[in-house]
Amino acid sequence: MIQLLGLPDSGLRRPRTHRQLSPRRCRLGVSRDRTPVGGEIEAESHFAVPLPRLGAAAPPGTRAGSSQGRPRQDVPTQGLALGKAVGRARGRAPRALVPLRPILRYSLCRPKSPSALSREMFFRAAWSLVLKKAGPGMRWMHSPGSAAHSERKMPPYTNYHAQRSYPMPDEPFCAELNAEQRALKEKEKGSWTQLSHAEKVALYRLQFHETFAEMNRRSNEWKTVMGCVFFFFGFTALLIWWQRVYVFPKKPITLTDEWKAQQLQRILDMKGNPVQGLASRWDYEKKEWKK
Amino acid sequence: MAYPLQMGLQDATSLIMEELLHFHDHTLMIVFLISSLVLYIISLMLTTKLTHTSTMDAQEVETVWTILPAIILILIALPSLRILYMMDEINNPSLTVKTMGHQWYWSYEYTDYEDLNFDSYMIPTQELKPGELRLLEVDNRVVLPMEMTIRMLISSEDVLHSWAVPSLGLKTDAIPGRLNQTTLMAMRPGLYYGQCSEICGSNHSFMPIVLELVPLSHFEKWSTSML
Repeated sequence: MIQLLGLPDSGLRRPRTHRQLSPRRCRLGVSRDRTPVGGEIEAESHFAVPLPRLGAAAPPGTRAGSSQGRPRQDVPTQGLALGKAVGRARGRAPRALVPLRPILRYSLCRPKSPSALSREMFFRAAWSLVLKKAGPGMRWMHSPGSAAHSERKMPPYTNYHAQRSYPMPDEPFCAELNAEQRALKEKEKGSWTQLSHAEKVALYRLQFHETFAEMNRRSNEWKTVMGCVFFFFGFTALLIWWQRVYVFPKKPITLTDEWKAQQLQRILDMKGNPVQGLASRWDYEKKEWKK
Repeated sequence: MAYPLQMGLQDATSLIMEELLHFHDHTLMIVFLISSLVLYIISLMLTTKLTHTSTMDAQEVETVWTILPAIILILIALPSLRILYMMDEINNPSLTVKTMGHQWYWSYEYTDYEDLNFDSYMIPTQELKPGELRLLEVDNRVVLPMEMTIRMLISSEDVLHSWAVPSLGLKTDAIPGRLNQTTLMAMRPGLYYGQCSEICGSNHSFMPIVLELVPLSHFEKWSTSML
């Protein structure tokens, strides 16, 4: 539906899965919101750094609404060289807001002309309005939250079908590599001891969408579920109370304590269920219940 | 009759019902074992870190879980059939009583020697004497001699009913135009309650059956008084 409207599909109907990212063009070294692959990137991975984009037309400052002219992580800009990209994440622009993120992922994947950028801005603004009206309870709000993968196809169609039960598919996550990435793949064919840690991480990110740790991360979904469960318990309790007060007729006389006592005495007198049942638990000599 | 917080079947009054109690224990134990095994396996499935879910070859376990249920079913079927045939043994009853189901009461006919007929209606809750059981008491109980084999012939005058007395292990449908037979032998004296067990209209829940099993001399006195 969203596609029909011409809006970029944010995939907000379910939590982030690999399909929200187009794997065709992947930003080398970028790991936004992900757990680090390798400890030393830990402080840096939350700050995505734009990569050198060969032949990019739009200088960074031309984006409407860009702040301070710093290279933004959400649009393709002329970025830094790979070697600096990894080491210079500190102090960069903070993460994009949650509602905007899914759209921006999609927009990552193609270089944009200025008119396309402003169109995208418009859609992003429109979409964020819709999102703010979505209200609580949507599962992506608890993100990171992983859930069952769907088989729904998303444009662009991909061949990447990794799942928890099939974690190492043949097709890589990033199928179309830019020149730098291709160079890295060539280097991979040599001895792996020549690869730096950052390069290994970059190769991993080319091949896979998420690490195992990212894939298996916990979520806060259980809180929503339990909250809804208890809410409905309470609502049901209200209904039952109202029923008891306003609907149910008077209880029959046989439920009074006096009647129940006489009934019990009668059953014991006629030795009802004397083998293993009620009368078998009564001591007829001592006239009391058996201990 | 049933008592509060009862968990199982009522105590047996006839020998067939004793057999049924043992059979029920046997089958329920098998059911509990299978259920706990399944629950345990489900809990394992939900808490595993293993992730390989594609089809794998599993010939050995498939053989086991085909043969083993077949054995279990045979172990259930053999006692079951034994009791079924035991119910149909020839037993030379001393007395024959006919009961006809109506909407919504039972009528009884003792016609072996004299012509004794009466209707048996439920006592409404407002007319119960203190200590009586609600929805179970009737105005005319079915008095029968204990420790004697009695043939019950059951039919209906209008719609389907079912004549059931759980503590004797009896339940027989009352079908209009058909005569169903069952055998009754109670080993203890006392009152035994049952309820209509086939939906028959608005008062289906309000046509109980009460058997009063008494020694033979008491039965003879009673039947004389009723004529």
